[in-house]
Amino acid sequence: MKKLIYITAVILLFSSCSNNTKTSNEVNLYSQRHYDVDKMLFERFEELTGVKVNVVKANADELLERLKNEGENSPADLFVSVDAGKLHKATELGLLQKISNSSILDNISDDLEDKNGYWVPMTYRSRILVYSKERVQANELSTYTDLLNEKWKNRILVRSSSNAYNQALLSSIVANKGPEAASEWASKLVSNFARDPKGSDRDQVKAIAAGQGDVAIVNSYYIGLLLSSDDEEQFKAGDAVGVFFPNQGEGESGAHINISGIGLTQHAKNKENALKLIEFLTGVEAQTTYSNTSFEYAVNPNAKHSDIVSSWGDFRRDTLDLNLLGVHRDKAIEIFDNSGWK
Amino acid sequence: MEVRRKFVQIEHKKWVLASLFVGMLLLLPMFFLFTKLFQVPSFDFFYLWDTLLLDYSFNTFYLILITSVFAIIFGVMPAWFVSNYDFKLRNFFDLVLYLPLAIPTYIMSFTYSDLLSYTGPLQFFLRKIFPDVAPYFNHDYLQIEVLGVLLGLALYPYVYTALRVSFSLIGSSYIDVAKNLGLSDVKMFFKVVLPLSKPALFSGLFLVVMEVLNEYGAVKYFGVNTYTAGIFRAWFSMGSENTAIQLACLLILLVGFILILERMTQKQSKFYYQTNTKQKPLTMPKLSTRVAIYMSCSVPFILGFLIPLIYILNNSIQQFMVVDFSRLFALSFNSIKVSFIASVFIILIALFFLYVEKISKLKLNTIITNITSLGYVIPGAVIGLAVILLFTQFPLFNNHLLVGSFFVLIYAYVFRFLAVGKSPIKSSLDKQPKAFEDTSKVLGVSSFKALRTIHLPLNKMALVIAFIVTFIDLLKELPITLILRPFNFDTLATQTYEFAVEEMLKASSIYSLMIIVIGSVLLILLKYITNKQIHAFRSF
Repeated sequence: MKKLIYITAVILLFSSCSNNTKTSNEVNLYSQRHYDVDKMLFERFEELTGVKVNVVKANADELLERLKNEGENSPADLFVSVDAGKLHKATELGLLQKISNSSILDNISDDLEDKNGYWVPMTYRSRILVYSKERVQANELSTYTDLLNEKWKNRILVRSSSNAYNQALLSSIVANKGPEAASEWASKLVSNFARDPKGSDRDQVKAIAAGQGDVAIVNSYYIGLLLSSDDEEQFKAGDAVGVFFPNQGEGESGAHINISGIGLTQHAKNKENALKLIEFLTGVEAQTTYSNTSFEYAVNPNAKHSDIVSSWGDFRRDTLDLNLLGVHRDKAIEIFDNSGWK
Repeated sequence: MEVRRKFVQIEHKKWVLASLFVGMLLLLPMFFLFTKLFQVPSFDFFYLWDTLLLDYSFNTFYLILITSVFAIIFGVMPAWFVSNYDFKLRNFFDLVLYLPLAIPTYIMSFTYSDLLSYTGPLQFFLRKIFPDVAPYFNHDYLQIEVLGVLLGLALYPYVYTALRVSFSLIGSSYIDVAKNLGLSDVKMFFKVVLPLSKPALFSGLFLVVMEVLNEYGAVKYFGVNTYTAGIFRAWFSMGSENTAIQLACLLILLVGFILILERMTQKQSKFYYQTNTKQKPLTMPKLSTRVAIYMSCSVPFILGFLIPLIYILNNSIQQFMVVDFSRLFALSFNSIKVSFIASVFIILIALFFLYVEKISKLKLNTIITNITSLGYVIPGAVIGLAVILLFTQFPLFNNHLLVGSFFVLIYAYVFRFLAVGKSPIKSSLDKQPKAFEDTSKVLGVSSFKALRTIHLPLNKMALVIAFIVTFIDLLKELPITLILRPFNFDTLATQTYEFAVEEMLKASSIYSLMIIVIGSVLLILLKYITNKQIHAFRSF
């Protein structure tokens, strides 16, 4: 019996290792994104081009660690992250190479492109304010800084500072207004919190519906996901809040955005296929799918936004060089730690 | 020369050498972690200490405390009642009280936070039916105390299992004497039974504490900053892998220290109790006791297993039409495949280590094989990192692309879970008299033959138990799989997690259900085996 188990194990082990045999017509991704829409699009790409897309999904830093240590041997051709800061970090670590193909860059709104040419945005999202339709008037809101006002005492909801979206937001404030202003913003905002930071973005919206707070800082697409949910209670939570894009006034920076982006690795072995995939993902078809399925904003100006996304109206986005979100990350975290923002 | 002569005197040289070799091989990741420890005089570390670490350590301690208290509340009383009283549904409870082990802690906490949330069924129901009462339930349930209770629910079976065996092995003479001396049931329990079961209680609690220390998904969601969360904060947010490693090493040292301390105190107060005195017949409980029995047995079962199961089952049924069954089966196969292979390796290596420990008296060997057990306390993602470092930087491996192969994944699993497989085998081997070895040696039987013909059959059940326990833990494993997996490789656990973090709990439910079903089937099998063992032991 024991022998049998042992032999089976050995056979299983070897058979599973042999799965790794390479077919040349493929492209390998290390991706932080694990949305179903990505899988759909990769399958569509394979259908169109015959190129197989292989994916390893994990946390961005874990993937960067793997990429960095694998060096020249790395099988990864592309690195995907939901944060420009991480793509900047990958660039800094020398893990990416420049992309200058016009067939790709022509797909993308100029102001969203990487100024250094190392990564390409796939989608973008804004970190917006949502408010209780019952207890707050839209005209009471204006900027991120306005949230420090006394009137918001015990009414602000936001998730933990270990979350990359919050770190990116604070990094943008450091970049736009300097570390001192950012530090003041963080610590004063903490004193207006309705509760200790916890849960996800969606939980903040639910907390508004539950009356635990009145205004929350969340990513735009979560509202789309709630509103498209087939769960009645989720829909109601999404419906209980209004969407507000801050910093739209004259002389103000515009609403903070961040991108999901893709970079070509330094040692990519399937470079041609990799570029083909980027071109496909930034093309009109894929971009429209993104907007309709995950409610992110398309980076291709020719793509149509979904009804839900369009219903929030147009807004002016912060045109800050998104690489700065990575540059100021350490400072932002230091500020968070000192501000008592858990 | 002295050393050499000493070595020549060691018995079973080949075995010891092989064991040392395998032990060292398994310790390589740990070695890599500790080289990093002394690499940089880290500024970050002091920064982290000042700003957060005190807070993190306090939280960890507090969470461990709450979890342990509830694990004891949920685990001790049922174990006592089931072992000693005769009541309806006794066998049923004895079976189902194990089952929460099949539910990963992160699924348990995601499930309950959704159940209790404003949009969840409980509050929805109250708003509909009792609008006056509803506001009283509208709380923020994402609190460290709530998390502690949930972890207690998920982990109490460790305490229950350990005590259940211990309680049924305590002979009746102790209890009779205690009763004759006029101790009440309650007093007898606290003065006689509990002290006798202290080692079992500690071994159960030790596993609970380890699980809490390693918990990542649930604590993050609840916004509780534990020590492990601190490790990840240092690594992910501050981008300082060295600091993360230093913190992890500190944790390893701390747990190692506690283990040594525990061993020393155990040695000092080592006492033996006779296990095989007459079997104590099951008592018919009084009415008041019966109430206590049903309360203490049904609460952990209902809260820890039934409610989450019904909730997940309900979600799965709602999703039934859109479930991709070919994917479900593919992922189940993946999960079973890697768990199976890793479990087999773990059992073989554990048995090998323990056997060599038994036949040779070389201290160094024992120490090395014991250190390999510390893999269990290192957070999974840190093991992942250590293994990546090992296979990309170690001279022998660095030119081959090994990271992302099944070999490395399995290696990491073995490193992490060896301790889990080791403990049932160890306790079984320890029970066998030394005379077996001596006799076989006198008879000129080779060590391998002795292992094969004497120890394998005698410890067969322990091996099966070890296999099942390891398998279930591997089935639930998440962080190592995430970071080390090959391309396009998903397991039930990774898929559940990916949906759950996006709060698509409904979509994740069918995958969690599969984990729970496979785990439950194995646990029921395990129960069947251990019951047989208890009987066998008594009839010795």
